[in-house]
Order: sequence, then C-alpha cells, then structure tokens
Amino acid sequence: MKRKRGALYYLKRDFWLYLCVLPVILYYFIFKYLPMAGIVMAFQDYNIFKGVLGSEFVGMENFLKIFKNQQFWNSIRNTLVLNLATLAVSFPLTIGLALMLNELRAVKFKRVSQSLLYLPHFISWVVVAGIAQNLFNMSNGTVNKMLEGIGVGPIPFLSNNAWWVFTYILCNIWKEIGWGTIIYLAALTGVDESLYEAAYLDGATRLQRIRYITLPMIKSVAATMLILNVSKMMSIGLDAPLLLGNTKVMAISEVISTYVYRLGIEKAQYDLATAIGLFQSLVNIVILVAVDRAAKLMGEEGIL
Amino acid sequence: MRGKKRKLSFGEVLLYVIITLIVILCTYPFLNVLACSVSGKAAVLGGKVTFYPIDFQLDSYREIFKQQSIWLSMRVSFVVTLSGTALGLALTIAAAYALSKEKLKGRKIISGFLLFTMYFGGGIIPTFIVVHGLGMYDTYAALVVPSAMSVFNFIVMRTFFRELPKELEEAALIDGAGDMKVLFQIALPLSVPIIATIGLFYAVGYWNDYFSSLIYIQSGEKFSLQLRLRQMLFANELNQASVAAEGMGTQAMSESLKMATIVFATLPIIVVYPWLQKYFVKGVMLGSVKG
Repeated sequence: MKRKRGALYYLKRDFWLYLCVLPVILYYFIFKYLPMAGIVMAFQDYNIFKGVLGSEFVGMENFLKIFKNQQFWNSIRNTLVLNLATLAVSFPLTIGLALMLNELRAVKFKRVSQSLLYLPHFISWVVVAGIAQNLFNMSNGTVNKMLEGIGVGPIPFLSNNAWWVFTYILCNIWKEIGWGTIIYLAALTGVDESLYEAAYLDGATRLQRIRYITLPMIKSVAATMLILNVSKMMSIGLDAPLLLGNTKVMAISEVISTYVYRLGIEKAQYDLATAIGLFQSLVNIVILVAVDRAAKLMGEEGIL
Repeated sequence: MRGKKRKLSFGEVLLYVIITLIVILCTYPFLNVLACSVSGKAAVLGGKVTFYPIDFQLDSYREIFKQQSIWLSMRVSFVVTLSGTALGLALTIAAAYALSKEKLKGRKIISGFLLFTMYFGGGIIPTFIVVHGLGMYDTYAALVVPSAMSVFNFIVMRTFFRELPKELEEAALIDGAGDMKVLFQIALPLSVPIIATIGLFYAVGYWNDYFSSLIYIQSGEKFSLQLRLRQMLFANELNQASVAAEGMGTQAMSESLKMATIVFATLPIIVVYPWLQKYFVKGVMLGSVKG
C-alpha cells in the first residue's frame, strides 16, 4: 500500500503544474463565479450606488413583476418558435448534405466544395445581417429585383413577421449547414470500405447502400445532435435576432437574450434583467436534465 | 466501386449538379457583396448587381482610405484579436496541459470548476457589473479579458494532450526533464495542428465580436470594426443619438461603401482560412468527445 502523503508534498512536486492552473482558476473565479454571486441582484431592488452588498432584498418581487409582463412571455415564445423552426429545417438538411458530400468520389471537387461550404461559419453576424439587408431589402434588394423580373413580389423578407422567420432560418442555414456536416462526415470516415464493396458486389444500388450502411452509421451521432439541440431550446444566441431584427418585426424577433439586453443594458433595469437571466438558466438546467434522462431511457447516449 | 473506374451514372451526374448548385448558392452572397462594392451607386441602389460589377468603380475603396473612423476601428480589432488570441491560447494550453496529467491531485475538482460554467452562469448583467467594477469599462481590456477562454477549447486541448504518446514523455522524464520542459520541448511541438485550430477559433471570435464593444465601450475611437460596421449598415435603424455620438454624422452611407467595408471586415478571415482549414476538422472532432 502506498504511503499517504500530505498536500504540501504534491504542491511541491507539481509546483509548476499548479502554477499553470492558477491564472485559469483566477480567471474563472473573477469572470464566471463572481457574476454568479451577482445573481442575488435578482432578489434585490438593485441600486447602482448602493451596489450588490448594500441594496435592499425584496424576495421574489422581481420574478412576480416579470411573470406579469406580456413582453417576457412573448420573448420566451419567440425563442422557442425560432429555435424549433430552425432545428426542424436545418437538422434534416444538414444530414442530407452530409450524405451527398459523402457520396462524392472526385477528391478535389469534394475538398473545394467543403471549403466553400464551411466558410460562412466564420463570417460575423454583423456581416451576415448586412448581406441579408442588401439582398432581401423590400425596395431595392437584389432578390426582390430578381423576383420582380419574373413577376413576383416584392416580398417583405425583413419586415413581415412570417417572412422574417423565413429569412432568419435561411441565414442560419447558410451560415451553419456546411459546418454542421463535419461531425457526420467524421463519423462516416470510420465506415469500413469493405462493407460498401460487399454491398456493391451483392448488387445493392447506391440508395440501398446509403439506406443500409451509411444511415445506420450516423444514427447515433444524429440522435446526439438532436438531443443537444433540444436541450438548448430555451437559450438562443443574441447575435442573429438582434442584428437581423428591426422595429417592424419586434413582435417575433424579440427573444429572451435580446430582451435581457434591452432591459438590462439599454434601460439599466439590472435587477429585472438578472431575474430573467436566472429564470432562463434554471429552465435550461431542468430541460437539460430531463432530456438527458429521456435519452438514456430510450437507450441513447446521454449528454451529461 | 470506390477507386475503380466506372461510367458515371445518371444519379451521380445529378449529385454533382446538385452539389455544384448548393456551392454556388452558398458562395453567391460573397460574390454579390464583392460585385456591389465595385459597382456604381445607381446600379447598387437599383438592386441590379448580381454576379458581376456594373459601372465599375473603385471610389468606395478610396473612400474607406479616407474614413479615419474605419481605420481606427480596424486597428482596434487587430490589436484586440492578436492579444486576445495570445492570451486565450496561453490560458488554454496551460490549464489543459496541467489538467491532462493524471498524477495531478485535485485535477478533477478543478476541471469540474471550469466545466460547471458551461451549464450555469451569471448572465450578461452580473458579468457587466463585475467588468465595470474592475474598472475595465471603456478600456481595451474589456474587449480582451472577459471572453479570454472558452471551456470548449479547453476540452479539445486537454483531450489532445491526453492522447499524446506517453513513451516520449516518460523517456524525457527519465532523462531528468521537468514537466515544463516536457511541455515546451515535446508536447507543444506535437500540438501545432490543434494550436492552429484553437487559435483560429479564438481569433475569429475576437475579430467577429461586436457585442463586447457594444456594451463595454463608450468612446467611438475604441469601437471594434464589427461594431463600426453595424453602425454604418443600420444607421437608419439605430437611433440617431447613438449614431451622432460616435461621430459618423447622420449622412447616409453609400451602399457601395457599406459593401466595401463588409469586404474589409471579412478579408482577414478569408486570407487565413485556406491555411488553417486542414486542421480544424480534427479540432471539431476532439471537441465532440465529452469532457
């Protein structure tokens, strides 16, 4: 049996390793854990001059206030609608594109296609929104001018609620579909080539090979991606709704993150915005745990 | 079938045609922006520009060279991107290397301390107040430090270090090398691809960031390029006060100038992209392995 040694021994032995970790611990403490402590604001009548330590506690009052606010419930509805709609469209399309890319045999063609399809992932949302503005503008957008040429439109891509959702999904797909295929393609590089050879010799058609060899290979990856996405239903990046949105479509583009931003940063209602943030985090955790349990019950790999 | 010569079937031709169309659709917005940036004002405003320039001009690029605010922002973005990427890589490598060592006592607790922040956080307002309280408001530090490290990249890096061949390290340790010597002389040289990948992720994150500028920066001369671009693109949308406050005036920007600025804001990414793209597929895969 090994002799038990004191903490000091290990600290001395691995001094340099601990020194490596120290700045990271400090960083996480200051920028992640201190803000968590700041969550007490959600239970205070926060006063900028008194600070977190001096402000008065008001119990659940902030939560009662936001639960009574129609805008708050709208932002939750919009978050769910946009997330679900995007997932419903992008999930099958990503798998479809991955399957098609996987069937390409011309190496160069495949590589160039992949490079070009991944590129939008690295483009900022500001630029995407700028491009969308230029293409989909009602009065002089390129797309509307083209549609006009064939006698359609103009279509209010950015100023009508339903069309805005369409544009939002389109931009998301443009940006992320190529990038999303990576994980499926990687799963498929593991497929044993001899499986395909055997199927070919047995006279299986291309579609049959996809159906019976390729699809089963990505089934578990697809399930994991679906579970991950469902578990993130209540959280939404601020960039896309804030930058693509405008005053005309506020009824649909205002999501939780943008609402927190407007309430907290623009109107300086720190306590209410923090309360909303906390509510969202808690719901997120509940969803995460529930989805994880459900996935495990259904025999899939969990995410926790 | 694979690798052997075979006549192209109808299905195969169809596949190539579909992929080609998707790639063209995907590339089109870039081409359109590029074409608009060198087209005449009337043609752009009329929505006539599609794939190629109409009434070719380079005035919008000349105009950019005259706009001091754009140059200032570009400098801010370069400085922030370089320092942020360096800081992010240093923190990530240090933590990932140390916590990849199985002998390190407490590594599970420390890793858990980091991973927990993936699931729960204070949210933007408490973070804003902390950054404010540290005296970082309206400084470049606010653009660099609060977003310096991502747990995702940490997991990727740690997985990579764990998978390095143990024999090399053991041999070095027998020769009397310390952990730090192993890091710099063995682990890092073997990790160039993954460092390039993570560096790219950090750099793109910083370069594309407008939100930190939006909430932490007040003085117009410290705006990042993306925030400046946002002000230009959506000048009519945003309230006039904020536009006037950052010194752009209220005059309407010509569409070509907007498009030229988009080109400038995207160019650095397009330039480094081909050099780094061969690495990042592996990076994404490592990240999908759970911590």
